[in-house]
Amino acid sequence: MDGYFGSYAVVAVLIVIGVVIYVGALTINRLLSPIRPSAEKLLTYECGVDPVGEGWAQTQVRYYVFTYLYVVFAVDAVFLFPWATVFADPGFGLTTLVEMFVFLGFIALGILYAWRKGVLSWT
Amino acid sequence: MIQSIDYAAIAPPLILAITAGLVLLVDLLLPKSAGISRRTAVSVPALAGVIAALVAVVLLALGEDRSTFCVPEGLRVEGLASCSYVADNLSLVFAGVVLAAAVVVILLSMGERGVPQGEWYFLLLCALTGAVTLPASRDLITLVVALELLSLPVFALTALKRHDGKAGEAALKLFLVSVVSTAITLFGISLIYGVTGGVHLDWIAAALPTDRNVVVFAGGSPEAAAIAERILGVVDLGLVMVLAGFIFKIAVVPFHFWAPDVYQGAPIPVAALLSVISKAAGFAAVFLVLTKAFAGLAHLWAPLVAVLAALTMTVGNLLALRQRHAVRLLAWSSVAQSGYILAPLGVAGERELSTVVAASTAYILIYAAMNIGAFSIVTLVARARPRDHLDDYRGLYGTNPVAALAMAFFLVCLAGLPPGLAGLFAKVVVFREVVVGDLGWLAVVMAVNTVIGLYYYMAWAARLFAPAEPGVSRTRLVSAPVGVAVAVAVVITGVFSFAPQLALSVLN
Repeated sequence: MDGYFGSYAVVAVLIVIGVVIYVGALTINRLLSPIRPSAEKLLTYECGVDPVGEGWAQTQVRYYVFTYLYVVFAVDAVFLFPWATVFADPGFGLTTLVEMFVFLGFIALGILYAWRKGVLSWT
Repeated sequence: MIQSIDYAAIAPPLILAITAGLVLLVDLLLPKSAGISRRTAVSVPALAGVIAALVAVVLLALGEDRSTFCVPEGLRVEGLASCSYVADNLSLVFAGVVLAAAVVVILLSMGERGVPQGEWYFLLLCALTGAVTLPASRDLITLVVALELLSLPVFALTALKRHDGKAGEAALKLFLVSVVSTAITLFGISLIYGVTGGVHLDWIAAALPTDRNVVVFAGGSPEAAAIAERILGVVDLGLVMVLAGFIFKIAVVPFHFWAPDVYQGAPIPVAALLSVISKAAGFAAVFLVLTKAFAGLAHLWAPLVAVLAALTMTVGNLLALRQRHAVRLLAWSSVAQSGYILAPLGVAGERELSTVVAASTAYILIYAAMNIGAFSIVTLVARARPRDHLDDYRGLYGTNPVAALAMAFFLVCLAGLPPGLAGLFAKVVVFREVVVGDLGWLAVVMAVNTVIGLYYYMAWAARLFAPAEPGVSRTRLVSAPVGVAVAVAVVITGVFSFAPQLALSVLN
């Protein structure tokens, strides 16, 4: 259990233990539990309510645009947070403030584009 | 600590980026009742922006070298300036090539039907911003960001013809290849950063454990020597991965399979962009990484590059022999030409790096002029005969003598024969480097390849003057913007033919 690759042995042992517990628990459950199936019991479990429709459901493809727009804002937040912690410090000042708004202006161009192309209305 | 920004140095990409924003705004806010067509309203400002950026590049070239985004005085280590953006001779020459080619690409795309106009020019200008920033980048992160700024809009441009299955397939292939190559590059960069502790090219060059440093380490203790040996291995691996990622983009064998399908599927102006602008910028990245950061490892990468160059020109030429589709043939020919461009770097271990890069750059300049010219004529012919087969060029001399003569000139240049002196001089420069650098086998491979190239370029040129097939429409092909584009390409290639020293001494 020493040396560089020896440290991987711990990982391997952990994986083996995990598999044993998982398989063991399910096997014991299978051996001990009584099995008396009925139509009710074989239904898909959905929080106690009878399931509606098929398991194969479609998602509106139009959601992808909203995901894009979300990502635009999520990404600019990554830049805004570190900026917000320093922009008032000595040595930064007005230039720093203006630069961030230039950046936000470019991002806003994306929103403007989405708006003019009718992405924001749901019809 | 705040960096001061030299806005004059970054003027070319800045102009392009602002124009891109303006073009998008014009497209969005132009009322239906405005007196001008949407096509004119966006294409003219785009062209003006590119020309303005070109003027800025020329003005910068006349003045002193400028650099910006440097590490502030107080934080410098060992006095290294470590600037991220440098407008020196090399970067301005590449920016000039990119923008001159961009003027032609915009002229070619003015007749493009069935694509959304605003998006087209916006994406084009974004890609150009990346292509102009790339040769000026002097750290690995700026380099990758600029390369991605060049690549991402091109995926969309390729796919803009929405109901064309081939375009969609081409865009998907380009996307997958590009993403994989970026991932490989980034992995390589992380290894290099891990060993050297910096991403600036000058910093990497200074921090690299070269052979000299290994000797110093070895003077210490056996363990230290062993560690130094191992670290060299990691740097080698990182270098090869970064190189592999970049040569994906310039379609060098063994990473060339995407090129023909993508060129054929994309709209022809985009194929021209990929084959000239994207390629020039990609080569700039390769030159920067190899010569600015890894000059100390030239003995390692030069033989590798020599083998890649030989493979690239051979595979490209052999496969071009079998093509009957005009754009596909140009795609394979541009793979082959990449091989010639790479060849001088193969002797970097023997020759001074600056002369090697100057030879490759001269080849790129001339290649860009003649190749964009060939693409202009292909655009003109493909509009009337969308099959775009080589046999569609039969009888072109009968209907369009000027276009046929221009095409013959570009093909002869690409083959490297008189009267296409530009192509001949380009080949001579590359040959001279390889021969002086004592790489005899590479010179022989190049000579054989030049002969193979003659066949397919000449077979195409001969078709221009052959009688037309019966049933082919004999209407004259006319388009004012494409005419201007062809004229620009002919003039530049002609100037390089009569005054090749303009291209050959551009880096001195």
